[in-house]
Amino acid sequence: MTLRRLLTPALLSFGLLGSAQLHAATIDKPECLAPAKPGGGYDLTCRLAATTLQQTGLLDKAMMVNYMPGGIGAVAYNHVMGVRDDDPNLIVAASTGAALNLAEGKFGKYDGSEVRWLGAVATDYGAVVVRDDAPWQTLDDLMKALKKDPQGIVFGAGGTVGSQDWMKAALIAQADEVDPRKLRYVSFEGGGESLAALLGNHIQVFTGDLSEIESQLEGGKIRVLAALSDQRQEGAFADIPTAKEQGYDVEWPIWRGYYMGENVSDGAYQAWLDVFTKLVDTEEFKQARHARGLFPFTKLGTEFEQYVQERIAHFKSLSQEMGLIK
Amino acid sequence: MTRLGDRLLGMILLVLAAVYAASTTQMEVPFSYDPLGPKGFPFVLAALLVVLAVVLLLRPALGEPWPRGVLLAKRGVLLAKVVAVLVVLTLYALAFSSLGYLLSSALAIFALAWLFNAGSLKALVCAVAMALGSYALFVYALDISLPVGQLFGGR
Amino acid sequence: MWDFLLQGFEVALTPLNLGLAFIGALLGTLFGALPGIGPINGIAILMPLAYTLGLPAESALILLAGIYTGAEYGGRISSILLNVPGDAGAVMTTLDGHPLAKKGLAGPALGLSAVSSFIGATIAIVGLTLFAPLLAAFAVNFGPAEYFALMVFAFSSLSVMMGKDPIKTLIGAVLGVMLATVGVDSGTGVMRFTGGMPELYDGIDFVVLVIGMFAISEILLMLEHDLTKGGGMAPVGRVMVSMKEVMFCKGAILRSSLIGFVIGVLPGTGASVAGAVSYTTEKRISDREGTFGHGDMRGLAAPEAANNASAAGSFVPMLTLGIPGSGTTAILLGALMLYNITPGPMLFTEQPRVAGGLIASLYIGNVMLLLLNLPLAGLFARVLTVPRWALVPGIALLAFVGVYQLHSDLMAIFLMLAIGVLGYVLRKFGFSLAPIVLGFVLGELMEENLRRALAMSGGDVAVLFQSTLAIGLWCAAVAVVVVPLVVSGWKRRRASA
Repeated sequence: MTLRRLLTPALLSFGLLGSAQLHAATIDKPECLAPAKPGGGYDLTCRLAATTLQQTGLLDKAMMVNYMPGGIGAVAYNHVMGVRDDDPNLIVAASTGAALNLAEGKFGKYDGSEVRWLGAVATDYGAVVVRDDAPWQTLDDLMKALKKDPQGIVFGAGGTVGSQDWMKAALIAQADEVDPRKLRYVSFEGGGESLAALLGNHIQVFTGDLSEIESQLEGGKIRVLAALSDQRQEGAFADIPTAKEQGYDVEWPIWRGYYMGENVSDGAYQAWLDVFTKLVDTEEFKQARHARGLFPFTKLGTEFEQYVQERIAHFKSLSQEMGLIK
Repeated sequence: MTRLGDRLLGMILLVLAAVYAASTTQMEVPFSYDPLGPKGFPFVLAALLVVLAVVLLLRPALGEPWPRGVLLAKRGVLLAKVVAVLVVLTLYALAFSSLGYLLSSALAIFALAWLFNAGSLKALVCAVAMALGSYALFVYALDISLPVGQLFGGR
Repeated sequence: MWDFLLQGFEVALTPLNLGLAFIGALLGTLFGALPGIGPINGIAILMPLAYTLGLPAESALILLAGIYTGAEYGGRISSILLNVPGDAGAVMTTLDGHPLAKKGLAGPALGLSAVSSFIGATIAIVGLTLFAPLLAAFAVNFGPAEYFALMVFAFSSLSVMMGKDPIKTLIGAVLGVMLATVGVDSGTGVMRFTGGMPELYDGIDFVVLVIGMFAISEILLMLEHDLTKGGGMAPVGRVMVSMKEVMFCKGAILRSSLIGFVIGVLPGTGASVAGAVSYTTEKRISDREGTFGHGDMRGLAAPEAANNASAAGSFVPMLTLGIPGSGTTAILLGALMLYNITPGPMLFTEQPRVAGGLIASLYIGNVMLLLLNLPLAGLFARVLTVPRWALVPGIALLAFVGVYQLHSDLMAIFLMLAIGVLGYVLRKFGFSLAPIVLGFVLGELMEENLRRALAMSGGDVAVLFQSTLAIGLWCAAVAVVVVPLVVSGWKRRRASA
């Protein structure tokens, strides 16, 4: 017996697990595949669903979370395309990053039209962060300085050229009519190292995510010049203006969602869709989403399918414009 | 290793350095923010390897020759066994997800134990006990998911 | 300022929390001992459990801290017994740990490494308690230029590990760095040496490399011992480590604890770098008779003290800045967020109960680990009495499961086997594995940070020598190579005079 299985009856008797056991027709061995190592954003995406599905009792069985790192998600994508293309039990975690990689042709012959996109349930947003003693008070100050001397400001973030973190910096440069290739940009291993580099004044602007800087907001060591969201967020983020309201049309949501194999039956797809449609409205889910530093973002079924395809097309033209792909 | 061994190694390393450098020149770089780019470091490494390989080719051999004394006589047996173990491990890998953890592991354990001179009965007992025991440890105590096997309805 | 710690101990010393600390320590040791399976697995299992059980934040933290520190203890076990590192920090532990086991000293080796781990961790936790904010300021001063200089220093320290065949040591290091260049380039996103295989985009996984190099090649080497009836283990003799042995290593333990702690505090480096730098430093200082690498107690104590100190040290940037210093602290950070605790500059003032509880639980977990691991040493040492025909399948199982649970992918297992064959052939050609693994770890950090520094400066090389810290590290790097040469030259002249 696993510890978890051993304790489930005990938990049930305490009434901690929900009583409304809903029957989902075809889902008897639910599994979420995180196309990365444990601990990253994809793990979080899977666990967000696994934990809350268990809490709410929307699935009979606990959802397993497995890992398949490699090829920034391409290995899992290939695996789903090749081996488990009709598995009714399997959902795979995805995000803006997956759409971006598909657009940049990093998944080989695949372009994102192959799988069945199930839905997005949460999001994070990009942020433009500087030190509290930086000379720029607003995004506009930074943009003016950047325009004057594109080589005078060092950007940094946790991703290579072509990655999401870089895209944020590149889009900001573009909005300022500066060629992204003329920037100074340093890529680090993840947001933590980038933040350390910002605090140590090795870089001047960090294009990170809102969730990863939440803990820094109160400490007063950093200043967030802009959130790359469509509107202001609540709570601790209420004072952070969006780039849009400062006159620069840059948005970067990092949505978190799931896809399924291409030959999954409509019945199974619909069953998962029903489960997620119910899940996103539960209190348990809303709390869990908030606890993980994520914001509301719900696009399910066809709406999500269209959104992803539209994003991939958009990213493709962006990457061509920036000279990343031909 | 013998002088011959070192020479052979030196040659292989030269080829490796050449392939590595050739593969480096093939990379297409859209643009890079640092002057070295993705190619700089590999070129330095290839050059270093060439220098080291040349030194290895020219210098007298060090160390003891291999295979040593007793083994020289049994060289054929050893080579056969090394290949056999590798074949077992490769088959084990291939069977891991299709036959499932329990069955593939039991077979692999039996084969390995037998190759290490366990005798058939001992190897059989070892295979059954270790496959079941490790499955219990990994799946029930440590909550690690292992392949059930396509034969048994898993994937 | 002591209030928060006192309060923390009050929290941690309840029966429930002591029990949780024990469970955490036990599971952590077990997870750490299994190659490829680490604290991340343990935390991934227990976090949802703690959450559904409705444990209060402090209790959950105590459980997780136990697993985290326990895994660092556990990593040494398979290093010593099987010559297969249990985790990244335990690679250097194989160098003297396994030869000790071969001499029949597995019990004392396990005991000594437990004591060194305890001292290393304790020194680091005290450092964390007293100087955390100060150290955090030091850590952020470490930029790309400083990391690059640190890597140059680490590579130059490798010069002590030249052994009998310096050329092969250098070739091994270069091959290791080459292996690390496989995958997406961290600067430009260009694919390097992947041959178009998506499985290689993310590079060669450290776990796959280490398990292949060590475990698979070890199995093949055992065939040889089997044929010659040689290379076996001496009978397991004494089980406990003696006080004399611990005192013999006290210098090594203290120095390595400090080195490990400082390296752990830096967000860009972790337990594997700590083990490497402490081992090479200790070899340079203490290895007068050339016994390092042949089962010298100090060569075992040094990396163990250092990797445990580094594990505790990585809490400094996490607790004070909210910046994870290692993969595992990144997961702990996520776990904290589930409890609405945001580590960062305000943690110590706003949530002293949590900060104090965590630090107190580190002290307690550490004591518990020592008490747990000393008696277990004898039990674990019995692994060596297992006949080879049963040991080999066991190693194979661990290797396969270790890689499979990380990748769920056949290609990763084949890659492990291929690396195993490479490791075997290289060992037959007279290479030792440590320089290869060190090249792999350090080379990647070296390239990344050099290029980051140059990207920062727009290509100006002067950026590498601008800070006092960097200059200091450059001087140290030059000194470790030049000083021994001068000293040996001077000795030779005196001897001939």
